[in-house]
Amino acid sequence: MGTSHTAEADLSRTVLAARLAAIPGSAEAEEHGDALWIVAPQLDVEAMAREMTALGCRLITMTGLAREDAETTIIYHYCLRQQYVSFKTCTRGGAIASITPTLRMASWIEREIHDFFGVQFVGHPNLVPLLRPPGLKDGFFREAGPRSTPPEQD
Amino acid sequence: MPYTIPIGPYHPALEEPYKLSVRCVGETVQQAKIEIGVTCRVIELLVQKREWVPAVTLIERVCGICSNVHAMTFCRAAEQIAGIEVPARARYIRTIIAELERMHSHLLWAGVAAECIGFHTLFMEIYALREQVMDLLETISGNRVNYGMNRIGGVNRDIPDPAPLIAATQAMAEPIERDIVPAFMNNPTATRRMSGIGPLSKEHAIEWGVVGPMARASGLEIDIRADRPYNAYQELGFKIVTQQAGDVQARVVVRALEMLESVRLVTEALRTIPSGPLRAFEGMPRIPPGEGFAVTEGPRGEAFYYVASDGGTTPTRVKIRTPSFVNVPALEVMIVGQQFSDMPLIQASTDPCVACIDR
Repeated sequence: MGTSHTAEADLSRTVLAARLAAIPGSAEAEEHGDALWIVAPQLDVEAMAREMTALGCRLITMTGLAREDAETTIIYHYCLRQQYVSFKTCTRGGAIASITPTLRMASWIEREIHDFFGVQFVGHPNLVPLLRPPGLKDGFFREAGPRSTPPEQD
Repeated sequence: MPYTIPIGPYHPALEEPYKLSVRCVGETVQQAKIEIGVTCRVIELLVQKREWVPAVTLIERVCGICSNVHAMTFCRAAEQIAGIEVPARARYIRTIIAELERMHSHLLWAGVAAECIGFHTLFMEIYALREQVMDLLETISGNRVNYGMNRIGGVNRDIPDPAPLIAATQAMAEPIERDIVPAFMNNPTATRRMSGIGPLSKEHAIEWGVVGPMARASGLEIDIRADRPYNAYQELGFKIVTQQAGDVQARVVVRALEMLESVRLVTEALRTIPSGPLRAFEGMPRIPPGEGFAVTEGPRGEAFYYVASDGGTTPTRVKIRTPSFVNVPALEVMIVGQQFSDMPLIQASTDPCVACIDR
């Protein structure tokens, strides 16, 4: 795995958008603020992680959001030097594939989302509590938080 | 025969509580397991139960060292959702506070590093200088820790008379250049204790996703101030500081040289601060339905805030990714093959902020 800043500079926005759209389960990128957003409920996140790594993109973090249908929206926030890319997808049956086997730095991020929202990251090598205070159950954000978002339009 | 030594969660070698379980063979470290969460306050959840104004106050308390960067980044994310344009004078004031905060954070860390290597004279010099930065922050904001400068749409306080602050800021450049930078770069004691210790290659820095001075000390040219200029960095210009060695000494040197760039930025911002309003609007902010994120370069690296609103009086979601959250895990690779006695220095070289990690 390596990042070539020259390659990054040469990667035009058009080429980037085309490669992002070619990821299985992906969708067309939309500009929102100063970032590209891809809303793709059926996104193959393992393929996404491999492709973003190949593009030299850096994972900033992942955001979990509780949904009314008991699933969790997961946003993968990436950065390619001067371009931000966010993939928005969701869990299926409370689970989603782990990207930690592809991207080591995702380990703590996925463990945190597991603590807060109870998401099962399938294939995570060590999905044990990271931040969850003793006495609270996995997914305590979902139980304690009064707010949830409606499901994305599939 | 390997054995495991627990360090922490409460230990004199750690500035804040977290736990390292270090497996050694003889004096050589083979592996370290990191456990966090001791000081988890669940601020992300608490802030979703506060209105937008007190939310800024709570967010500022994520960290005692880089409090400003948290409040500022949260405000920037909310401003993005609402399409609020921050007045130029407020952008300059935010830049001044952010760079003074970086200076005091880097000086604090440099003092810790000096103490870790037994260089007590240097520790005293550095902390005396840090007090001058704290005095400047107190002069501007009235506070030494949580400055309360940021509000959604601008800043709360003006800098009505920049002239004396310019002189005080410039006065700090000389001791940094004359004493601190050479002490860390050339002093034989410092060099022997830090050169080649706790290495993190450029490839590992990418693999572990480290940010800030840690990344730049491993040769990665990433800095949000240059990559995605915000506040007044576009107008003031900015020079990235990097080193190639990727060891403890490189991390010290990057932070020391960054202080000089901060002095330049603060001085230039104070000299050229435009006149005008301090905030885009008066009264309570109204954040419409939407989502947005902001990224800023804190003292330890990139701070990321995702904020969502349903148009109500409180945020519906606030996600905080602090730089230490991605820097500290890289300790697992930095300590392999190192001497156990160097563990306090190596872990300190990540400038770990556990309050930030745990939130």
